[in-house]
Amino acid sequence: MTVGLPHVLTLAALLFGIGLYGALSRKNAVHVMMSLELMANAVNLNLVGFSRFVTPEAITGQFFAVFSMVVSAAEIGLGLALVIAIYRRKRSVELDAVQELKG
Amino acid sequence: MDWVTLIPLLPALAFVVLAPLSRAARAKLVPLAVAAVLGSLGLSIAAFLAVWPGGHGEVWQASVTIAHIGDRAITLGLALEPMSAIMLLVVTVVGACVQVYSLGYMHREDRIGWYYAVLSLFTAAMLALVLSDNFLGLFMAWEVMGLCSYLLIGFWHEQEAPRLASIKAFLTTKVGDLGFMLALAVVYAEVGAFDFATVLHHDWTAGTATLVALLMLFAAMGKSAQFPLHVWLPDAMAGPTPASALIHAATMVAAGVFLVVRAFPIFEASGIALTITLWVGLITALLAGLLAMVQHDIKKVLAYSTISQLGFMFIALGAGSSTAALYHLVTHAYFKSLLFLGAGVIIHAAHTQDMRQMGGLAKKLPVTSLTFASGSLALAGIVPFSGFWSKDEILAVLLHEHQYVAFAIALLAAFVTAFYVARLWFRVFTAPTQQEDLHEGHRSMLVPMVVLAVITAVIGFFGPTLGDFLGHEIPWPALGTAAISTVAALGGITLGWYVYGRRTSVVNTQALKQRFPHAYGVLANKYYFDLTYGYFVVGGYTTLARALATFDARVVDGVVNGVAAAWRSLSAAGWTFDGRIVDGAVNGAASAVRAAGDKVRTLQTGSVRSYQTLIAGAVVLLVVWILVKGA
Amino acid sequence: MSTTLPAAAFYLLAFAALYGAISMMSTRNVVHATVWLLEVMLATAGLYLVLDAEFLALVQVLVYAGAVAVLTLFTVMLTLRRREDAVRPFPTAWGSLAIAALFTGAMLLAIRGFCPVGVEMPAIAPGIEEFGRELFTTWMVPFEVASLVLLVALVGAVWWTGGDDR
Repeated sequence: MTVGLPHVLTLAALLFGIGLYGALSRKNAVHVMMSLELMANAVNLNLVGFSRFVTPEAITGQFFAVFSMVVSAAEIGLGLALVIAIYRRKRSVELDAVQELKG
Repeated sequence: MDWVTLIPLLPALAFVVLAPLSRAARAKLVPLAVAAVLGSLGLSIAAFLAVWPGGHGEVWQASVTIAHIGDRAITLGLALEPMSAIMLLVVTVVGACVQVYSLGYMHREDRIGWYYAVLSLFTAAMLALVLSDNFLGLFMAWEVMGLCSYLLIGFWHEQEAPRLASIKAFLTTKVGDLGFMLALAVVYAEVGAFDFATVLHHDWTAGTATLVALLMLFAAMGKSAQFPLHVWLPDAMAGPTPASALIHAATMVAAGVFLVVRAFPIFEASGIALTITLWVGLITALLAGLLAMVQHDIKKVLAYSTISQLGFMFIALGAGSSTAALYHLVTHAYFKSLLFLGAGVIIHAAHTQDMRQMGGLAKKLPVTSLTFASGSLALAGIVPFSGFWSKDEILAVLLHEHQYVAFAIALLAAFVTAFYVARLWFRVFTAPTQQEDLHEGHRSMLVPMVVLAVITAVIGFFGPTLGDFLGHEIPWPALGTAAISTVAALGGITLGWYVYGRRTSVVNTQALKQRFPHAYGVLANKYYFDLTYGYFVVGGYTTLARALATFDARVVDGVVNGVAAAWRSLSAAGWTFDGRIVDGAVNGAASAVRAAGDKVRTLQTGSVRSYQTLIAGAVVLLVVWILVKGA
Repeated sequence: MSTTLPAAAFYLLAFAALYGAISMMSTRNVVHATVWLLEVMLATAGLYLVLDAEFLALVQVLVYAGAVAVLTLFTVMLTLRRREDAVRPFPTAWGSLAIAALFTGAMLLAIRGFCPVGVEMPAIAPGIEEFGRELFTTWMVPFEVASLVLLVALVGAVWWTGGDDR
């Protein structure tokens, strides 16, 4: 059958859901970050799909996706640096180990 | 003739100079006071001589307006006329004698300066009273004399008796002064002025005149120690003897009589006032005389004697003869002050006032005994001494007015007078000597006494002259009256000699006292006047005061304290309210917030994952909701 | 350009991506998970090519597959003390699963309801040339801002991990 926008969106939704599950349930900080990247990926896919089908001349979605990628890259760079910094202090990257803000 | 103003002014200035000084400075300036009174004496003689040739009528008058009430002017002034001229002589002579005498008597006294200051003020006031030409000025001088009497009676205020006596004197005379103030009010309401000329010539109705006269009589009774306001005079003997001589024998107590004399036209306008005056005088004369019989203190004898003699003056007034009263006033002033000064010497010599411890002073104190005899005979009413003439005049007036009952009582009083005089004299001078070192008084004390004794002896002969001077006749006594009064007087003296004067006591007074204990008790307790007054008046007053004080302490203070206590408990309740409820609410709110915060705090798990979960969950729900709503 | 997506390519790539994602989630070895992530990135790049987004595919490979995945691998290696720690037990978290499922379900429903366009695909598909032109004209400012963002992230990362002159 022909593949159209709904299929792309469905794929993106599934990927996002998987990534969400991972982000919420994993204990390893690095793993959580990876799940977040998966979610971001799904979002970009969504955007590109819409761009291709809804606004093909202006390719707005693609630009949106580019900048989304920029932000994601920055985010993960900082995030992993943070993880390393925490690891230096705590000798662990388990999320449960970092509970200083427990009120 | 304005120098007449100096007569009261000189002693007043002496007071003004002495009063503000220190004790030592005052003591040095005592001669100044004596000089002032001697100056007044000289001026009084001059004034008398100025009035003498003219006879009756006013010679000089000066007045000053002190206030305006509406369109009327209130004036105070002095006037020189025969009556005041005579009185000037009396006051200044006695005053000068007393002041000279005091130089010796009060010689060792520490506060002699103050004594002379008050004495001078008193003399000034009495002179002003005598010269005053209106009732208001008379009243003001009257009050000043009351103050000086208080100060002098209570001169030795370190002791209790003088203190109490001075208060008693002041308050008792003040009761009488109420009458005077009310009389002034009625006079002003009726006449509109206070000066004698206007008031005495006013057309008085019997009713108003009676009212005014009785009020003034009441005042005179207080000042002149008539029953029942006599209780202060015996106690006033706690003061220095020369002061007693001046104030309580010669001058101040005579002011009451003088007031009635001045206001006599009003008394005459009201017949009943004169009757009352007569009876007041009779009762006083007799009863006081009886009291004088049982006194042991020499000064008390003289005090009761004064009361009795003043009663005689009131008898004269009541009988309708102001002249006779004034005559007796003059003679009494001289011989009574003489007796008091003599008593002072006696007391100085015997170091006691109790006659039972005295005796045989005649030999040791010759001058005193002679002068004292002069005064005593005058008091008893033995010819030719002054007292005989004036007392006889009174008796004559009584007979003339057909007041036979009064005459009999007065005669009895005269008999009693002679008796107690004899008793005193025999006890003190001729009884067996009990003390050894008795010595005569100092010259400064004796000279005045001699002067007074001489006057006492001779002044009686000037009776008719005085009568001419005053405008009313004072005739030589009729032989019948003279005989009766002399018999009475001699009888009294004989009885006195019989009981007290003989070498061996025939009459045992102690046995008499035991046989008539009630009679003696009544006399010894002064007819229970003091007890009655003390119980009812003073006691009643203090009971009332105490009751009010209790009322104040219990009820008023109770209310106040109760209000305060209620307020305090109210504020305590408020405090509790604030503490429990308000604070409770506040604290409760705070703890509720904290409890809520505690619960909410559990959200802060510090775990990243839980935060993530929450956020994701919230977003998901939001999305679902939007979708559901959109669909 | 074709008017429809090539079905075979799409389904293959889609399958690859899904399989990689699920594997990433289910493995207990974190290093393995990293590699599966890499695989997903590559699959996504292929999908971009299918959707006529050439530049984006390139960037995806360069950035995501090349930098991000490798960076993640580095971090895993740096934070691993012993080789054995890589494998960790992983119980299924049902709460998270529920949330994720709920979300996915909602999304699928939304797609069913809201999808404006069907399978038809417009013919026009701009190339890299147009992309570049647009990037440096219409999207100039965001482009500059993006470079700033990357600078900030760079400095931040250096700071956090110690830097040269601490």
